[in-house]
Amino acid sequence: MNRADVMRIEREHPDLRSLVRAGGLYYLILAGLLAVVGYGIYAYSQQWREGLEVTGMNTPVYWGLYIVNFVFFVGLSAGGILVAALAHTAGLEKFKPIGRIAELGAISCLILAAIFIMLDLGRPERWFHLIFYARFASPLAWDFVIVGIYLAIAMALGYFSTRADLVRCMALLPSRRGLYRFLTLGYTDTSPAALERDRRVLRALAIASIPAAVMLHSVTAWILGLLKARPGWHSALLAPLFIVSASVSGLAMVIVALVVSRRFLGVRVKEEVIQDLGRILVFTIPVLGYFLFAELLTVVYAGEQAPMTVFQEMMFGRYAPIFWFNVLLGLLLPVLLLWRPRRWVALALAIPLFVAASLVAQHFRLAIPTPLVGLFPYTLGVFLPSWMEYTLIALLAVVVPFFLLTTPWLRTTDGIGVAAALVVLGVLAERTNIVLPPLLKTWLPYPPGSYMPTSTEVVLVLATYAVGALAFVILAKVFPLVELEEG
Amino acid sequence: MPRWGMIIDLDRCTACQACTVACKEENNQPVAGRERSQRGRDIFWMHVLLTVDGEYPRVRARFLPRPCQHCDAPPCVQVCPVGATTKRVDGPVAQNDERCIGCRYCMVACPYGVRAFNWKAPAFETTQYLNPDVPVRPVGVVEKCTFCIHRIEKAVERAKAEGRALRDGEVQTACMQTCTGGAIVFGDLDDPNSRVSRLTRDRRAFHLLEELATHPRVTYLAEG
Repeated sequence: MNRADVMRIEREHPDLRSLVRAGGLYYLILAGLLAVVGYGIYAYSQQWREGLEVTGMNTPVYWGLYIVNFVFFVGLSAGGILVAALAHTAGLEKFKPIGRIAELGAISCLILAAIFIMLDLGRPERWFHLIFYARFASPLAWDFVIVGIYLAIAMALGYFSTRADLVRCMALLPSRRGLYRFLTLGYTDTSPAALERDRRVLRALAIASIPAAVMLHSVTAWILGLLKARPGWHSALLAPLFIVSASVSGLAMVIVALVVSRRFLGVRVKEEVIQDLGRILVFTIPVLGYFLFAELLTVVYAGEQAPMTVFQEMMFGRYAPIFWFNVLLGLLLPVLLLWRPRRWVALALAIPLFVAASLVAQHFRLAIPTPLVGLFPYTLGVFLPSWMEYTLIALLAVVVPFFLLTTPWLRTTDGIGVAAALVVLGVLAERTNIVLPPLLKTWLPYPPGSYMPTSTEVVLVLATYAVGALAFVILAKVFPLVELEEG
Repeated sequence: MPRWGMIIDLDRCTACQACTVACKEENNQPVAGRERSQRGRDIFWMHVLLTVDGEYPRVRARFLPRPCQHCDAPPCVQVCPVGATTKRVDGPVAQNDERCIGCRYCMVACPYGVRAFNWKAPAFETTQYLNPDVPVRPVGVVEKCTFCIHRIEKAVERAKAEGRALRDGEVQTACMQTCTGGAIVFGDLDDPNSRVSRLTRDRRAFHLLEELATHPRVTYLAEG
């Protein structure tokens, strides 16, 4: 595309600017991501040659970061599709433009989830056994089936919501005519009747995608939750908890994608849409907190040995930083940021943050108030924090939220993006703590397990993230990420 | 068709771990070495677990030899997505390492932790002493105790060739054969007069993690 064309498009069709414009920063990001992916391919060649020996997984922690990320990305994907379905069926014109970005996110996240499963297999070249020898008593086989159905629906959804815009692009960007023609699969009719049919199909697909997304992520939960061998997973609440986590993280992911593409890719997204999505997000976060609390209370009140050791490890043991990151920075802080209460309310809310944080530090040593003593039948560990740790906690729990809340910068869409990113990271932490601690503890008297991912594993995880980001920045130059205005 | 089962008498176990060694030799399990062992890379089909109750001087150590329990309701078979692990009609839970994709779901699902993974390609100091009756498993697949299925099959063939029924005690697993205290008994649970059948009805008999309803084929006799 020559320079005159770019100028013309920018002048006449500001909607398409993000498709044709690519500055130095764009190519820098592209090069950076490619470098990470390249390094990942090298790391994988090592894992391929030497087997899973190069990872930190071991006996008894048979699953590690790969499965954590698999669960996380399936959740993001299901959540993304639920947001898209909302956009297509709720009848709210305002949200229609975000449907496509949610679908694109959902499809990419599912592909990342598939990559993580392949990374985890000891014999990846035998993946086709899952088709030829599928055994349907296994939740993993259910997963394979539902992923197929779900992917088909998600891709059809993406196709029908993009087709009309692709036809428009064919006319507006003659130099890429062939590409867009290919992407429309040759169906280029944009008569009102054809568009009306698209809309009807889209609505039907959107409705079908809701149960598909719910089943997709429930099956992922059941891969863990149906195992009686693992206290900490074996819970009826796991699937509903996964659905709520998926919806919250999916919505947050869409917000992050909108904010990023608005800021760095020049995609035109109305500020009002982001503000409204932020308002919805703030109401969904407490639901997730409630589910986590219900699960914890049930385990702690019963105080059974096996699940208690798991939760002990998770809340006050080696996984405590991840757990409290999830609760404090992934749930509480985003609510404060998005809700933006008056300063004194904010301070009042920061107090529970501080209390909770010091409880972590003390490992519950002194902090159980007398009326609650009967609630905690289990002896908790002893750990005395130093004044240094107290200062750090105080900083984290009071100063940081207060500072963030009073900074005008955070009242913009960027602030919403930061809050949403925290929510996404919080859910990743939650996934880590759902998957890993139950693997450390076995029923029989084995020595307790431990798990520390190796550099190869971390590189492969980051490289897979980079694949996702790469797909996003490239597709952002091909597809109009938000719907074009008519005409 | 016999129904194979095992008795482990904890009163007779001295925790000498000869069963672990015999099992490793018999079934071509590679040795991890000290460094890899610390990273949780061991392969033990038979493992003697240790618990210590109390503190010195009032202390008691308990030992628990732990082969695969060969459950009648095996959680590992239930979850395998490709049918690489199966329950044989004569009892053992078998593992097909040509079929296994290495997802390790069975290991996660097993409450007894009896399964082992080939984190890397097996290496032996010399292949001279490998047991020709047992295939060496490749990298990236799960493996486990087979109830010495190759010995069972040999004995069954021999009895058939000689046109007679199997005698009680004719099939011995490697761990049983080597057990210094005679704690391990292997045999046919369908034969009411076999030693293993009689001991299963002993007052001291119990199963590991009975509450999980996996119905193990390995019965323990409690310490008296």
